Amino acid sequence: MFSVINSEWYKLRKSKVLFLLLIAPLIGLFIGIANSSIEIEGINAWHGKLVMMNFTYAILFLPLISGVLASVICRYEHQEGGWKQLLALPVTRGKVFLSKYLLLILLMLVMQLMYLVSIYLVGMIEGITDPFPMDIVWKSIFGGWVATLPLIALQLWVSIAFKSFAAPFAINVIFTLPTILVINSERFGPYYPWGQPFLMMNIGGSTEDVFFVPWDQILMVVGGSFLLFFIGGYLYFLKKAI
Amino acid sequence: MEYIVETKHLTKSFGKEKAVSNLEMKIPKGEIYGFLGPNGAGKTTTIRMLLGLMRPTSGSVQLFGKDMKNNRIEILKNVGSLVENPSYYPHLTAKENLEASRKILNVPKKRIDEVLQQVRLHGVANKKVKGYSLGMKQRLGIAAAMLHQPELLILDEPTNGLDPSGIIEMRQLIQSLPKEYGMTVLISSHLLSEIDQMATRVGVVSKGKMIFQDSIETMRKFAQASIQVKVNDNEAAWRSLLANGQKADLGEESVTLQAEDDEQVAASIRYLVQQGFSIYRVQEEKRSLENIFLEMTKEEQAG
Repeated sequence: MFSVINSEWYKLRKSKVLFLLLIAPLIGLFIGIANSSIEIEGINAWHGKLVMMNFTYAILFLPLISGVLASVICRYEHQEGGWKQLLALPVTRGKVFLSKYLLLILLMLVMQLMYLVSIYLVGMIEGITDPFPMDIVWKSIFGGWVATLPLIALQLWVSIAFKSFAAPFAINVIFTLPTILVINSERFGPYYPWGQPFLMMNIGGSTEDVFFVPWDQILMVVGGSFLLFFIGGYLYFLKKAI
Repeated sequence: MEYIVETKHLTKSFGKEKAVSNLEMKIPKGEIYGFLGPNGAGKTTTIRMLLGLMRPTSGSVQLFGKDMKNNRIEILKNVGSLVENPSYYPHLTAKENLEASRKILNVPKKRIDEVLQQVRLHGVANKKVKGYSLGMKQRLGIAAAMLHQPELLILDEPTNGLDPSGIIEMRQLIQSLPKEYGMTVLISSHLLSEIDQMATRVGVVSKGKMIFQDSIETMRKFAQASIQVKVNDNEAAWRSLLANGQKADLGEESVTLQAEDDEQVAASIRYLVQQGFSIYRVQEEKRSLENIFLEMTKEEQAG
């Protein structure tokens, strides 16, 4: 299993797209610096920054970048018979799918951590003196990552299904753009895979829970859609004619 | 006999169309098996099933005496393959392409240089494969197939896109594999001449059916020679031979003797001379394997 991940990492690393991981945290950084937050008495100054930065980061860039990476990790397999070459090696299709998925979610975790660095840098530059709200930030960073798990499974599925690079990208953009509208709907918002990262990262709600969103909702919506997309993509790949 | 590859009633249907039908392929150890058939006869479909890339509709595939269905990983550890067009990662160099496979196959790093040397790509090993010619990509594909020194090498149209000197090199390389490494090789091609020069066994497939499978010598026996005689009056000579009880066919410009040995030929010629025909030419014509192949596949198509 490790050897397959190692090989995947090698191919992805050489495709020189990893700089994409920097884009979203950098944009978060600029947005954080460019907008001066309104100081409200009694509320931690980090909160204002976070609300603003999370908005663009989680609604727009996080799902876009994860989608591009999912397309890239399949693109070189589609291009010149890579699938054929790879699957004629002594590997199971299941391991190939799992390796690609694990690699993607690890990269997204790296991106989340870089975003955390961005948040900290913004505070340093702006000279925020309030204590760094560690628990809130962790909930946002880690919770946001958990919420991308179903989305990435879906994006990987779509990327495997379409031979062209443009199709999965276009689909991803089409579903990312309305996120801002969909998350305002209380009924559909939580069920929209592209909206889940924002809902999980958005600070507020009860701070007693491990995440900002109650556990039962996470288990049901994030867990449920993860199982749906992961198993769907997995089975699709096992059956796909190469 | 120990068969490295053995398929039983192998069938693959796409909808109503049967791409491969009841195919029984048998490849003994150490042979170079030429898998021959016109384009679209089902060669690549068969090879995909041999590699487990595609599931048979019915029938079974056994490699090294193990069933593909339940032992795929174990089997593939000993199989190297090049299927259809060369497969590669365009954004990587030749060396990096092999490295990506090497990580999965878990063989020592020095194998990469060894196989690149074998297919003579060591000079361009650090160039991106994107810029390679078709022949170079093909050679890289063969290098990748040999990386883990497999017991069975499956090459689908390996000389596609190679120039004449490349073809000769490839042929020498393939011929050396059974002797030096005890490998068994399966090569598919639609060109008989190519198979004729390399293979020790032949399987001819047409419309998804195996219509001939035996040693190359047996196939060559079909290529019996015939004697053509050109005389001043072909038709009269033909009639006169038949009247004398000798078998002959009338061609457009000559008479063909159906003689079984040299004495019979001599007798027929002597008779024609005695009858006063002017004999211009007596020549032997061998039916080429190419003709036999064409006839075999044609019969199948007519039927």
